[in-house]
Amino acid sequence: MEKIEQVDLSVNLAGLKLKNPVMTASGTCGFGEAYEDFFSPAALGALVVKGVTLQPRKGNPTPRLVETAAGLLNAIGLENPGVETVLAEYLPPLASYNVPVIVNISGNTLEEYGELAARLSTCSVVKGIEVNISCPNVKEGGIAFGSHPATAAKVVRVVKANTDLPVIVKLSPNVTDIVEMALAVEEAGADALSLINTLLGMAIDIKKRQPILANVTGGLSGPAVKPVAVRMVWQVAQRVKIPLIGLGGIVTAADALEFIMAGATAIAVGTGQFVNPRCCVEVIAGLAEYCRANEVKKISELRGVAWNGGK
Amino acid sequence: MWKRVKYHVPDALVVSQRQTGTNIYTLTIACREIATEAKPGQFVHLRCSSGLDPLLRRPFSIYQVERKEGLVSFCYQVVGKGTKLLSRVKEGTFLDVMGPLGHGFETELCGKRVGLIGGGLGIAPLIFLGQELAKNNEVQGFWGGRSKVMMPQLAVTSDFPYFLATEDGSAGHRGLVTELVEQWLQQETPDQLYACGPRPMLAAVAQLARSKEIPLQVSLESVMACGVGACLGCICEKAGADEEKRLKVCQDGPVFWAEEVQWDGEN
Ligand SMILES: Cc1cc2nc3c(=O)[nH]c(=O)nc-3n(C[C@H](O)[C@H](O)[C@H](O)COP(=O)(O)OP(=O)(O)OC[C@H]3O[C@@H](n4cnc5c(N)ncnc54)[C@H](O)[C@@H]3O)c2cc1C
Ligand SMILES: Cc1cc2nc3c(=O)[nH]c(=O)nc-3n(C[C@H](O)[C@H](O)[C@H](O)COP(=O)(O)O)c2cc1C
Ligand code: FES
Repeated sequence: MEKIEQVDLSVNLAGLKLKNPVMTASGTCGFGEAYEDFFSPAALGALVVKGVTLQPRKGNPTPRLVETAAGLLNAIGLENPGVETVLAEYLPPLASYNVPVIVNISGNTLEEYGELAARLSTCSVVKGIEVNISCPNVKEGGIAFGSHPATAAKVVRVVKANTDLPVIVKLSPNVTDIVEMALAVEEAGADALSLINTLLGMAIDIKKRQPILANVTGGLSGPAVKPVAVRMVWQVAQRVKIPLIGLGGIVTAADALEFIMAGATAIAVGTGQFVNPRCCVEVIAGLAEYCRANEVKKISELRGVAWNGGK
Repeated sequence: MWKRVKYHVPDALVVSQRQTGTNIYTLTIACREIATEAKPGQFVHLRCSSGLDPLLRRPFSIYQVERKEGLVSFCYQVVGKGTKLLSRVKEGTFLDVMGPLGHGFETELCGKRVGLIGGGLGIAPLIFLGQELAKNNEVQGFWGGRSKVMMPQLAVTSDFPYFLATEDGSAGHRGLVTELVEQWLQQETPDQLYACGPRPMLAAVAQLARSKEIPLQVSLESVMACGVGACLGCICEKAGADEEKRLKVCQDGPVFWAEEVQWDGEN
């Protein structure tokens, strides 16, 4: 067998050419600066920044975090400086990173989603919009859009009407039928899907006899959710034509490979970065190593290979 | 200007691990990168196990630094899952550490009289701070705790004098450390105060400092995930006109000027 010198890790995500399939998960690396001392964002396939809303948001009271078995519950509440400040102060410096930047957006109304998409499209640094229809923390927002296929589709149409950038829709796992949701947003024009967002959960302090999070409930992430995420990617990837970004609990290249073999074109690392600040670059290296060891020339050849039982 | 230099060292050698009190341990690692850069008040985010549970790192203040030898020590109390596992880590094994993180205490003082007020494990970062400040300043320590066996080892503080207070009377004054500070402030007017410890203690010190108009720096604690400003999990309320802005304990802190913090009727 021929020996593979150079592995091709590049993937095409709805027209976005990524040098490798590894992205950051929204809300876990700020605006790219947080991990600068540990790795260069230039190494990433794409940088997905913190969720942005039209107005600045203070977020939830503390405690906002609680660790659970192999997982993390968070109720940050979409704290962010608002789109105006993000456009003026946070996005311009990202041009120097030389990496495609994807901005994650959240709205309270359809109009807000439309306006966010329109305004962000004016910024040359932004190469894609990720629509968060699923954040379970914000009472009047996220959950309502993300839990009904028809409402989710409306959000997608509004965003599509307001931008020419690729539109990635981030799905909530907190639904009865993930495939139905995926098909609805694909039909509405989504260019790609991210799955999954966090699973709604909670934890109780048995000494104080009260919920630990000030917000009572929070979103579960980390290795604890990985099997659920892999299953959802597996189900959705076989039904839609648009590419998928798989995420939920990725800590190692082996985790990332599970998502790719389940049908994801790209993957994102969130909570894994908190465990290992160099998680993203180690996953990239691990993917290349797997390909070399298994004589895979292009990582894209591995997409969905598990569908036919590995044959 | 704060120079941003943080390292991730996945294999820092554990040089020593000693139990020094009831559930209190002193841990020393060899990590030249952190030892070189560390400033008093900064912390290190370390993994207590290599498995996925506990998943997240745990923050610990830097207690001692031997710059030449490249050694960094922590003093910690076993309070839960992570610290229990940490206490079982043996000499000669390796720990995954990240640091130094956060914004430390202001140490650019010369010829000043300063007071350090530490409660419980909050004494740990003040030992490092006191040793640095004592080079050019007159330092007075005030250490408090529930009991003598629940405080960091104090022998290492020979660089400057200190007063002790314990709630059970096992050492020094029986009572709260803030009582000693209050008495001291009736006779002395220090140029600056520094405090680290439980929130009620910090609130009490903040009130004392405000009434005497003495600048005070406090080191706060918060539940942390990332430790580097990425997750927004560790925020605390900011006082004053700019209160829309919140403070990230891990990045803007853990050390703040007392007037930056919203004490909210706590004092
Ligand atoms: C900047 C900073 C510096 C610190 N420095 C030191 C130090 O030098 N020495 C030391 O002993 N501890 C220090 N701590 C506290 C230490 O990080 C926690 O005790 C530790 O994370 C607990 O982990 P665990 O898994 O053992 O406990 P868990 O199982 O996570 O929790 C057990 C109990 O401890 C409480 N707890 C958890 N985290 C904290 C926290 N951050 N502060 C207070 N209570 C907490 C929980 O509410 C719970 O009741 C510091 C914390 C911060 C934020
Ligand atoms: C602290 C934190 C903040 C997050 N903020 C956002 C956000 O602003 N927008 C969003 O779509 N998802 C957000 N998420 C969800 C992550 O992007 C990701 O979907 C989820 O955590 C699962 O991946 P992981 O297990 O790799 O973390 C957040 C997750 C965490 C842990
Ligand atoms: S711990 Fe993540 S922002 Fe402070």
